[in-house]
Formats: sequence, structure tokens, C-alpha cells
Amino acid sequence: MRFSFGVILAVALSGLSFAQPTLTPAQRQLNIYSFELVWKTVHDKHWDPKFNGIDWQAVHDELRPKVEKAASTDEARDVMSDMLGRLKQTHFGIVPGEAYKELDQKDDDGKSSPSEGDPGIDVRLVDGHTLVTFVTPDSPAEVKGVKPGWEILSIEGKELAPGMAKVHAALGSVLMAELIETRSVVERMRGPIDKTVEVEFLDGKDRKVKLKLGRTGPRGTETIVGSLPPLYFWMDAHKVQSDIGYVHFNVFFEPDAVAGSVQKLMSECRDCKGFVIDLRGNPGGLGAMAMGLAGWFTSQNGLRLGTMNMRSMTIKFVVFPRPEPFRGPLAILVDGCSASTSEIFAGGMQDLKLGRVFGTHTAGAALPSLFTKLPNGDGFQYAVANYISEGGKPLEGVGVTPDQEVKLTRHQLLEGQDPVLDAAVSWIHGQ
Amino acid sequence: MNRFNFAKNIAIGAAVVLSLTLARAADDLPKADTILDKYIEVSGGKAAYQKHHTEVAKGSFSLAAMNINGPVVSYRAEPNKSLTEIDFGSMGKMREGSDGTVYWMSFAMTGPHVKEGPEKAQAAMSARFNEELNWRDIFKDAQTTGVDTVDGKECYKVQLTPSEGPPITQCYDKESSLMVKQSMTVQSPMGEAQSDSFFSDYRKEGDVLMPHKIKVNAPGQEVVLTFDTITFNADIPADKFALPDEIKALVKK
Repeated sequence: MRFSFGVILAVALSGLSFAQPTLTPAQRQLNIYSFELVWKTVHDKHWDPKFNGIDWQAVHDELRPKVEKAASTDEARDVMSDMLGRLKQTHFGIVPGEAYKELDQKDDDGKSSPSEGDPGIDVRLVDGHTLVTFVTPDSPAEVKGVKPGWEILSIEGKELAPGMAKVHAALGSVLMAELIETRSVVERMRGPIDKTVEVEFLDGKDRKVKLKLGRTGPRGTETIVGSLPPLYFWMDAHKVQSDIGYVHFNVFFEPDAVAGSVQKLMSECRDCKGFVIDLRGNPGGLGAMAMGLAGWFTSQNGLRLGTMNMRSMTIKFVVFPRPEPFRGPLAILVDGCSASTSEIFAGGMQDLKLGRVFGTHTAGAALPSLFTKLPNGDGFQYAVANYISEGGKPLEGVGVTPDQEVKLTRHQLLEGQDPVLDAAVSWIHGQ
Repeated sequence: MNRFNFAKNIAIGAAVVLSLTLARAADDLPKADTILDKYIEVSGGKAAYQKHHTEVAKGSFSLAAMNINGPVVSYRAEPNKSLTEIDFGSMGKMREGSDGTVYWMSFAMTGPHVKEGPEKAQAAMSARFNEELNWRDIFKDAQTTGVDTVDGKECYKVQLTPSEGPPITQCYDKESSLMVKQSMTVQSPMGEAQSDSFFSDYRKEGDVLMPHKIKVNAPGQEVVLTFDTITFNADIPADKFALPDEIKALVKK
């Protein structure tokens, strides 16, 4: 799949607000064209000709008058989002055209100059508490002394707990709840780089600490794939405990970079006792990369991770073994923010018994999708296929259940531990 | 005769009429070898093709719906050596080739693999230099099957059956005799995919007319290949077609 659900979500939850001038007739027409294109694309390309049980023509006939009356592009976008929401499936969404503004802010090197950033904090929900799980080195948060394990109590004076409780109640047992809730917290800390954000924490000694944190540009290097808004890619490949290869990257993009780093580590790690692929927080990206990554961990031809069913064809996610694959134990780390391509890889490797999955249940958002730009300037993501993992189950709405469930605790995070990685290392050493 | 039998007989009669019509239409169609040889003739002639021993084509591809584009370069040498490189930018590079014996592909996203079975057979067919001239060696059968319309102009459909794999259908413009469409089932370990390619912008390169634009309709995607330069008999370094190290390692396994 070409785009991660997480990106859509991130933009949707970013809280960006733009003044909406009155639409000109031409703009109104562009919104109508966009509406029709969205409807027709789903009509022509959705893998299920019955549209998940929805009368798609009736949806069109109901909503078309609303988009015609829409007084702003925001309203038109809401109508289109409503239309896509009727499908009740992930990987369908509209990205505001404003999200592309970064593309227009190029430096001499052709890269964007991000005007928005964050304090350098990643979070997860642990037993209803929003805990810091990672602080980016040299980030404003690290400079101010923020540590993993600290709980976030409020952002800009607004308490998190009541809002999160409402969201949690609304989402109920939806698998993606963790992904949605986590991203919403991160997005609330995002904002203009030249402004600070006030965050109140509960520190390691249970003291309330209120900090004004600066913001920095996203971690990693900018990557632009087709019509997608700019994304930032980072990767970490090194040995842990000198005898285990460890690979961690934030999105399935930049296949050349991923292949190069894995190959380099592989060559340095021929005698390693095991390998760890850390997909925690990885929302997906290019689906075919799951096949390429799997090829480093088997010498057997003819294996496949799963099958993608489009209306016009079926694509087998075949694993092409690398020339010198690693044959030792493979641990795959996942959590509720692992989605899409991460699930395709983790689920397929689990089904093939080529890897053991550690962590918590994944997001269950795994529909292969494409991304295109609409006449009104918005982006449009649409799923084109269903995906069935090799074990025979769909990943959409189901996700991947770890072989060994390992949950984070505040205590362990405060102690600087990573219980999920620790469990994987322990398993590898026990093989 | 009850109504059912009447209806059945109407259906049978209609089928007979239809079959007669088809048979008559087939009789009126030019034979496949005539169409294929005519294409050679109008595009430059056998002698012009035979002067060529290598080909280098440079251009670009565009996946307009997704705003993805990049450079494409293709090297070919007789009898069946080839190398095609496509740069998908942030999605990685794809290389596909043949040293005359081994047919391979390497894509940053999926990794390298050596082609086998139906995929290899199709790759061998594609790698054949001057395939237009050598169609009698490549295909065991060629039949004109009907008439199609491409861009509002009629063309003769020729079905070509290779010794291995599914048939390919090519369509030759009735007026110009140039090939304007090719339909085939692409073979891959990832599955089969129906592909329709449309050839246009024929221009002379040396003494031969070559299509400079190819629009490929594959499931869910339309890709346009545009070739800026096509050079025949260019010096291609001998190692250009050598197997990459990763492919050599896979062959050894």
C-alpha cells in the first residue's frame, strides 16, 4: 500500500484551522468535481462490488445536494468524509489541501522547511494513562529534562484524562483506539516551530511539573512519494547486547535506505544469535516492502505473506529470499500503533512461523490503498483491495495478536527499561 | 413446437447465424503473417532492422494518478541481452535484465529474484532482439482474430501464441499497418495481471519507425512511458548485461 493510515489520521487530528473565504463559483464547482471523483473512484475500484453492504448510489444521491450547498471547502470536505465514512473501512479519507503547504516551502536543497514541529515526545496509553515512551535526543523535551515514564496530564492547560475517557468510550473496543488516541495526543503538542507548548507532566517522583516546551522539526529526513503530503523517515539499525541485530524504522518508505541499512547490519551480524525488527508505532507505508523485508529471514522459495484481492486481480505477497538470509530467530515488536504494512509483515511472518511477535495487539488497519490529488486541491486516499494474511484471516479489523503479549508499565519506563525488547532478547538468548 | 423449444431454436439459430457471420468475417481478414510482415515493411523493412545490433532507449515514465514519475533507460543487444532501469524516486529503483541466459529482476521494495517458469518464458520473449523480425521463431502460431478500434481507428487483431505461456494479442492499424495495441497476461510470481499497451508517436530513428509513447493500462493504474531518444548500434559496455552480484549469489544457491 502506498500510504499509511497513520498519516491520514495525523492530518485529520492535527487540528489545523484555516480561515475559509466564501467560495467562488469556480471553487464550488471544483468541490463538486472532487465529490464526483471520490464517489466514482470508490464505485469503480472498491474491491467489493457490494461496497461493504452500502447502497453506494443512494449515498451519492443523498450527499450530492449537500456538497452543492457547501459554503466552504471545509464543509465540502466534511460531506466527502461523510460519504467515505459510510463504508466503515480504514484507508479511506480526505486530506486537507492545506497539508500540502509544506511542499511549497522549499530550501535550496529542494527540501521543505517545516513550519510546524513538536517537542520530540512519543507517547502510549498505558492503563488509561498517557505515558512518555520516547524522548528524541537533543529535542526541546530532552533539553528540559522530560523522561520516558512521565505521564502527560495536560496540554495547553487542557486536561487529557477527561477527553481521552470520552474518546475511549466512543471507540469502545475498536482496535484502532490506541492508534487514534495516541496520535491525538502527539498532534495536540504539534504546532508552529517558533512557539512553545505548555505541557504538564507527572514526573518520576509523582510531582506535577509544568514545562513550556519548544518545538523542533520532525525527526528524520523528508520523503515525498507522489501525491502524498511530505513525510519524515528515520531508521535505526544497530546491535543490541553485541549479539542481536536490531532494526527500527518509523514508516515503510525509502526502500533503498531500508534495504541498505538492513544489508549492512546483516553483513555485520552473521554470527548474531537473533534479529529484532521493531515495528512499534510504525503505521505502514509501501506494502511491497513487507515482502522485501521478509526475504532476509528465509531461504525458502515460494512462501508468501498473504494475498491482496483487488476487483480486477489478485496479488500474492511473495517472499523472495535474499542471497544470504539470516536463519536464526527473529523477533518482531508491535503495539497498538503498528498498522498496515507493519501488520502485513508481522502477521505474515507469524503465519509462516518465521518470526515470533512480541508486544500488544496491532491496530487492525491493513487495507492496501492509493493516494491521489482531487480537483479542489485536497488529497484523497482510497483502499483498492482487501488483504488476507497467509494464515487465512483478514487483518482489517482483526490485527495481529502477539505470540507473547508484553505491556509497558510506568515503573519500567521510569527505570529506563524496554520490557518488550527485553522479552524479545530473552527469548532469542533462550533459543 | 412448444415455446421453450422455439426459444431454444431461435437461440441456436442465432448462434448459427452468428457463427456464419464470424466465419465470413474471418475469411475477409488478412492473414496474420501478412499483417506482421507488412508491419516490418512499413516501419523500415527487414534490411533496416537487420542493421541493428544494439539499442539504447532513454525516457521517462509517469504514473499520473499518483503524481509519480521518473527516468527510464533500456539497453538491449542481440540476441537476447537486456537491462531496464526505472527510478521510482522515494519508492526505490527497479532493475530488470538478462545476460542471455539468466532473467532477473531487482526492486528495492521486494528484493532481487531470478525469473523461472512462465515469468522466465515471458522475459525471454521480451528480451529477444529484433523480435518484430523473429516472430516466426518466437510464436508457434499467429492468427488474425478480428477487428478492434483504437483511438477511433480500426485495427486488425492478431493473436500470437508462444511456445510457452498465454497468447498475446496485437492490433495493427488498418491504414498505417503499424502496431497500435498489445494485450497480454503478464506472468509473475505475484500473480497474473491483464495489461493493455497502446503504442503511438511513431517517429523515425535511423531507418526504422519506432513508437516513442507507450501507454500501459494495468489493473488500477495507467502508466505512460515516453522515450526521448532511441539509439541503435550504440556502444554498450560489455559488463552492462553482467549479472549483479546479488543475482549471481541467487543463481549459485
